[in-house]
Amino acid sequence: MKNLIQKITGMRLWALFVKELRQIQRDRQMVVALIVPPTIQLILLGFALNPEVTNLRLGVVDENRTAVSRELISAFVEGQAFQVAAYYQSPTELGRALSSGNLDAGLVIPSDFAKRFEARQPSTVQLAFDGVDSNRAGIASSYAQRTMMAFNQRNGLAPVKMESPVIKPNLTARVALLFNPGLRSSWFMLAGVLGILLVLNGSLVAAGALVKEKEAGTIEQLLMTPAGATEIIVAKITPVFLLLSCDVWLALLIMRLVFDMPMRGSLLVLFCAGALCVFAGIGLGTFLATFSKSQQQAQLLNFFVNPPIALLSGATSPLEGMPHWVQPLTIINPVRHFATIARGVLLKGAGLDIIYPNLLALFAFAVVLVGLSAWQFRKQLE
Amino acid sequence: MKRIIAQAIKELKQVTRDRLTLALALVLPLILLVLYGKVISFTVTGLPLVIRDYDQTPRSRQYVETLMASGSYKLVEAAPDEKPETLLAKEQARIVVIIPPQFERDLERGRKAEVQWVIDATDSNTATTLRGQAAALTEAFLREHGLKGAEIAPVIKAETRIWFNPGGDSDKYIGPGAMAVVLALFPPLLAALAMSRETEQKTILQVYVSSISAHEYLLGKTLAFFILAVAEWALIVLLGMWLFGIHFVASPIPFLVGTVVYLFCCVAFGVMTGASIRDQASTIQAIAMVCFLFSFLLSGFMFPISNIPASIRWISNFVPARYFIEITRDAFVRGGGWPAVWPSHVALLVLGTLFLFVAWRKMRNMQLED
Repeated sequence: MKNLIQKITGMRLWALFVKELRQIQRDRQMVVALIVPPTIQLILLGFALNPEVTNLRLGVVDENRTAVSRELISAFVEGQAFQVAAYYQSPTELGRALSSGNLDAGLVIPSDFAKRFEARQPSTVQLAFDGVDSNRAGIASSYAQRTMMAFNQRNGLAPVKMESPVIKPNLTARVALLFNPGLRSSWFMLAGVLGILLVLNGSLVAAGALVKEKEAGTIEQLLMTPAGATEIIVAKITPVFLLLSCDVWLALLIMRLVFDMPMRGSLLVLFCAGALCVFAGIGLGTFLATFSKSQQQAQLLNFFVNPPIALLSGATSPLEGMPHWVQPLTIINPVRHFATIARGVLLKGAGLDIIYPNLLALFAFAVVLVGLSAWQFRKQLE
Repeated sequence: MKRIIAQAIKELKQVTRDRLTLALALVLPLILLVLYGKVISFTVTGLPLVIRDYDQTPRSRQYVETLMASGSYKLVEAAPDEKPETLLAKEQARIVVIIPPQFERDLERGRKAEVQWVIDATDSNTATTLRGQAAALTEAFLREHGLKGAEIAPVIKAETRIWFNPGGDSDKYIGPGAMAVVLALFPPLLAALAMSRETEQKTILQVYVSSISAHEYLLGKTLAFFILAVAEWALIVLLGMWLFGIHFVASPIPFLVGTVVYLFCCVAFGVMTGASIRDQASTIQAIAMVCFLFSFLLSGFMFPISNIPASIRWISNFVPARYFIEITRDAFVRGGGWPAVWPSHVALLVLGTLFLFVAWRKMRNMQLED
């Protein structure tokens, strides 16, 4: 045992590894960079990306001002979907507020509303929606329809037409929402975003560490030592890898504590996937670093590669929403595979038997990217 | 004034020499614009759907036909003994529709019949849409085959109008926002790098000993990167208008004035960041964090700002892109003109001046007094 330890500590690789560790220890900024941004990013993304349509700002022109018209207005507010933002004197004023973007919807109740209501005559109210965000406008208008329908049912007249008087078919669709019955969008986003964070931070930090040596000119000194290119790279990568792997646990802790994320599957499997993801990121970073002469260039190259990786991963928006020719391209994106694994393990409780193709794909990425960067690095040295 | 211009010219020369940076700064935003604008979409079609028809009657087949006629799903086959949960977990299907035995008979006799939709709700947004579709398609099935019972006469009818974008074109929403978000990234990045590079390479000492004063130095840098930003802006607006098929719906004057204050604000932010952070690598990280992430998340580009919890919503007041999105959406979609957007202009001007002031304080502290 003692021999083994001596053997390891006597290795060149070990010496290099210790050097890297000390360098990182002194570089407080890097340690901070590994912990603070992922934490902030995770919390921000979890909270900010919320596609729910609630609390729509409704502007009201009530030309009637009776108990009945007020009942209609409160019917809109009851369902949580709408909140009355302001009352206006005329439809023109309402229109102006709508064009300033201060309202999401407008409701105009005519002056003869109550009279017709008492007389059991149908009357027409006007509804206007800000259609800039077509998706939101569509959902808002269906909320409004539902509100009107409920109001009609409560105050409705007897059925007028009896087309099929003999039988009244009674069919409903019963919907079962699996895995995320509370429909929390943060669960969907976070599981995917974790992959983005791992790959992006991995590539940024690794590129930074490698180029720093180049920029400072100390890479020549490293090369003069008997250490080979592979040893240099392995020693460079290992500490970054260890630190980033801690990020996986940190992220899981935040998800659990801040967002009540369920953890239905094996966390060990998820951690392995996370580690592979970090590897892929580091490989990508070192690969980019071999092309750049300065930190600035390396970071700019990262800027070039990272947004497509983040956006084409299905982490923040559904894969199926992408154009059809783009969808197959996402197969070469490690984050996509990680997102599938993370969602599978955390939300669906999926085991190895289900996610192994994605895990294999991640493994392949890690091997290819790290191998490629090592090869490119060595080629440059010769 | 002369010294400001001289500083700006020196800065521009330095930028044009670094070809890689310049190319990235001009081409990258265009790629990002296409990505943001054309790839992200929350409208999902072609989801894999598995039917479990335990009735196998003409009626049940009609129900399936109604579902498929909507064009929203892709019918996939699955082994009959596989449980719906497993199918969803394996992502073989996103929806499993189960038609119970005696579906036809129950319908015909007016007994209560239930079709079950098992939906993968991992993606909550899509699941919400699917839940709505389940109800709507079931309703459509009844209506189509004359199975609808008596209807209640309505007391009120709604006359619904969708303003500004009656066609429901999502490009009109994403396009103007994408322009603002993409522009928020590169001008500040380049400006911040130019600032922190001087500190890192110690050339800032030469600036100190020269006769240029702090505000001249800062304004010179701001001017240079403002000019670069205008070039980028022109490219982005042209590409954006063509790509998203949008055009000015009102006078373009508020938009043009808004562009000037926005670009000024963005560059000023970059100058401030560069003056506060000493090394380039951290500068890039800071800019990436604030300009990329904040502009993307806290600007109302994808989802309304009111959806963000109040504890972090206040940050969005300091995100320039938030105000410029108001201006672009007004110029290309709403057309409200000055009365609608002037507060955004004021906010951008105030923010920009504030950023520049902070940078000036930093610089002034470093310089010796005359």
